[in-house]
Amino acid sequence: MKDVFRILIAPLVWFASFSAVYGLHGLMCGHEMSGVVFGLPLERAYLVAAYVCAIAVQMVLLVALYSSRIASPSPFVRFVSHATGWVGLIATIWSLVPVVFTTYCG
Amino acid sequence: MNALERHRKLTTIWASEKGFKGWFSTVNHTDLGRMFLVTAFFFFIIGGLLAMLIRVQLATPHSAFAGPEIYNQIFTMHGTIMMFLFAIPTFEGLAIYLLPKILGTRDLAFPRLTAYGYWCYAFGGSMMLIAMVFGIAPNGGWFMYPPLSSAIYSPGINTDFWLIGITFVEISAVAAAVEITVSILKYRAPGMSLDKMPIFAWYALITALMILTGFPPLILGSVLLEVERAFGFPFFQADLGGDSLLWQHLFWLFGHPEVYIIFLPAAGVISTILPVMCRTTLLGYGWIVAAALALAFLSFGLWVHHMFTTGIPHMGLAFFSAASTLVAVPTGVQIFAWIGTMWKGRPELRLPMLHLLGFFFTFVIGGLTGVMVAVVPFDWQAHDTAFITAHLHYVLFGGFVFPIFAGIYYWLPHVTGRRRFFRLGELAFALVFIGFHVTFLAMHWVGLLGQRRRIPTYAPEDGWTAINLISSVGSFVLAIGIGMILIDVILHVLTASRGRRNPWGAGTLEWAMPTPPLAYNFASLPHITSRDPLVDQPDLAVQLARGEGYLGTPRNTWRETLTVDIASGKPDMHVIYPSNTRLPILMSAVTGVFFVSLLLKFYWTVPVAVIGVTILVWRWVWGLGRGADLAPLPIGHGITLPNAGMTARSPGWWGSIFLLTANATFFGSLLFGFAFLWTVAPGWPPPVWFDPSMTELGAGLSGAIIGPIAMRLAKSVNSKGRSSITGATMSLFGAILVAVASAAMMWRTPSPVDHAYGATLFVLGGYGLFHAVLAMLMTSFLIARIVRGFTSAVRRAEFSIIGLWVDYTSVIGVLILLAAHLPGVLQ
Repeated sequence: MKDVFRILIAPLVWFASFSAVYGLHGLMCGHEMSGVVFGLPLERAYLVAAYVCAIAVQMVLLVALYSSRIASPSPFVRFVSHATGWVGLIATIWSLVPVVFTTYCG
Repeated sequence: MNALERHRKLTTIWASEKGFKGWFSTVNHTDLGRMFLVTAFFFFIIGGLLAMLIRVQLATPHSAFAGPEIYNQIFTMHGTIMMFLFAIPTFEGLAIYLLPKILGTRDLAFPRLTAYGYWCYAFGGSMMLIAMVFGIAPNGGWFMYPPLSSAIYSPGINTDFWLIGITFVEISAVAAAVEITVSILKYRAPGMSLDKMPIFAWYALITALMILTGFPPLILGSVLLEVERAFGFPFFQADLGGDSLLWQHLFWLFGHPEVYIIFLPAAGVISTILPVMCRTTLLGYGWIVAAALALAFLSFGLWVHHMFTTGIPHMGLAFFSAASTLVAVPTGVQIFAWIGTMWKGRPELRLPMLHLLGFFFTFVIGGLTGVMVAVVPFDWQAHDTAFITAHLHYVLFGGFVFPIFAGIYYWLPHVTGRRRFFRLGELAFALVFIGFHVTFLAMHWVGLLGQRRRIPTYAPEDGWTAINLISSVGSFVLAIGIGMILIDVILHVLTASRGRRNPWGAGTLEWAMPTPPLAYNFASLPHITSRDPLVDQPDLAVQLARGEGYLGTPRNTWRETLTVDIASGKPDMHVIYPSNTRLPILMSAVTGVFFVSLLLKFYWTVPVAVIGVTILVWRWVWGLGRGADLAPLPIGHGITLPNAGMTARSPGWWGSIFLLTANATFFGSLLFGFAFLWTVAPGWPPPVWFDPSMTELGAGLSGAIIGPIAMRLAKSVNSKGRSSITGATMSLFGAILVAVASAAMMWRTPSPVDHAYGATLFVLGGYGLFHAVLAMLMTSFLIARIVRGFTSAVRRAEFSIIGLWVDYTSVIGVLILLAAHLPGVLQ
């Protein structure tokens, strides 16, 4: 079961973070907010912070999947879990990048 | 014991009842797989005939062939049948037939569940057909959007047939998914570690996991819409705190993964057949596994791309547009791996290969138009036009029907033991290929010219006449081609001559047995050392027939197999299967009474059906387990294994884990719906909040804490050989407290017909009550088993299984009670 977990963890976390950021966006559009943080509107700052957190979690996962302490003893599972780890990271970066560029509630 | 004696004894043990009666009592995966496939193709023909009617209607402008009311039923039933009654059951049938054979075992994990799933499918599908015959078939389109499908705008019984019939059929899909997942993870030949699993098994595993997480949102949506229609709970009515967009979210949370649930098994068929047709091995096995996994996950992040025109903010659109373009990458990895496989091999243009080439050509076009509609501005233009209809047919026909035709021709010699005699198949392929592309290329074109999908007719001045006529002519060529395939297959089954074993020279295990296959698959179970066992051990079939594998000596009258450790493939449990029984068909019939009662609004028969199902389930599980300890049993090659009932992680435990995964997705979707309505729907906050009660909350939370602790205590005491009745009884008490708190919540919730808030709390309370009652029944069952001597320090499997359900009930009980009581406390 641990090997299955190693393979699935990064995409699962991507799905959770994707849903969370989408939910956060919906929540903020449903309840008007005001304020500025580091020169950014509060909504944008929250979304970018969530984006950075999501990427950071994926990077930690990827490093963990490569570490000898956590990686699977099976070369095949190691390969697939590394691949899905990269999928999680790239999917997070790509699918959530609109938080940086796009209008948030327009 | 020589091979013939072994064969005779195994046949006596494993055979289904002879003749017609055997259909109703068989639990054998080969029988049930064939029954699934035949039924699915029966529905395919019905769905195809409906498609012909659509094309007749659209062939000319101002067509008087069918009026709008009948036409609505025709296209709704076409989509519904193809998606729910053909595509998914075809995957289930293929997986049920094939998996034990390619995994090197004797049956699936839960044979009676396979039979129950089949009968639910057959009865649910029949309900839909009966509705069509009586002219009261669903008519709101295969995705049933409210408010069109609400009681106000669709007052008849048509929509109810869809909501209730499809939910009935989905029991079959979830049952099969649990079955397939546990079978692939645990029921493999010794030595078959994850890296040696046949590629089809990987695809089937991923698909089954997707069904477990993709179908519950639709089941929830169907339940909510039916409750709205029957009792007036306003989940989707904007003026009463509901939102019709909630349906779209729930539907497409299922609907988009559904596309990949259909494609991935077909990709498994391609990955299995292509290397054989090219006389080589699959290129990039690990990459393909990773790509299929990536595709499965990414497909859950695309659902809003079906909702680009609903007014969602730009950033929301951009998330899903980005994710939609991303799926092209893992799809591309698979396509290039298959091209690479062809490149390194020597492709032979035999009939299955022709269909695979048809797949490549068609699916790649469907994928590219998919990338087009993933781009928001293009989608705004093409949305709800015939272009979308054409795109989805390129994806589904290209990505599923061509590979399945390849699979039919590839495995037909296995099913029948015969070799093809007539040569209609090649001509049929040409007609199907040409007919398909004429039909749907034209449909792309007319869609870009502005023809909406689902329109019953159009005017000559629209300028679509010639294109529609071409499309209709193409569709009839396609239908003739499919008819010829059908005739070819029937002729093969009835008249072809005996073929040799493994006619394709394949390396996978399904060919290491006589064909047509025997009821027990393998006289003894193989030890696997590579991904293509028949290539490395050409005489494996003979060795297995001589009983040189595992479990080569039949014992008592047991239907025996063994399970393995998930990762390493090391044997870990000995399993005794149940034998033939009519219990599954009886239980699915009583389940059907439940659904038909809801449909016809005979509510007094609903509790009768519920009690009937409860009694049958009780009987079902009571027959499992043993009244005395069973010592570890020798399985051959000097290995002894404990029986599954003497372990903590029995097959029932694994089945519960994956059933609870689907259940948790259902519950998560319900919480999502609650949060969605709260934050997005107009008409909030509700006029009245739920009045919190510390007594009810305290009682419910106490029950949620007591239940799991007491069950752990019972388990621990049992493992020491002492009576565990006290712990089990305390656990029962905990479940009763959760039930009382949930029932009180339902009783006191603000009127569920006045606002979606009250309606959602009522459903949440109902979910909690249902699970608490389930936990009560389970713990009562455990107490009865303890009293009757079915448990001991060794026979401990039931504690682990029931413990899982008690834990789950506690977790959802706490969340439900907090969701109801906390807002009132915080006001």
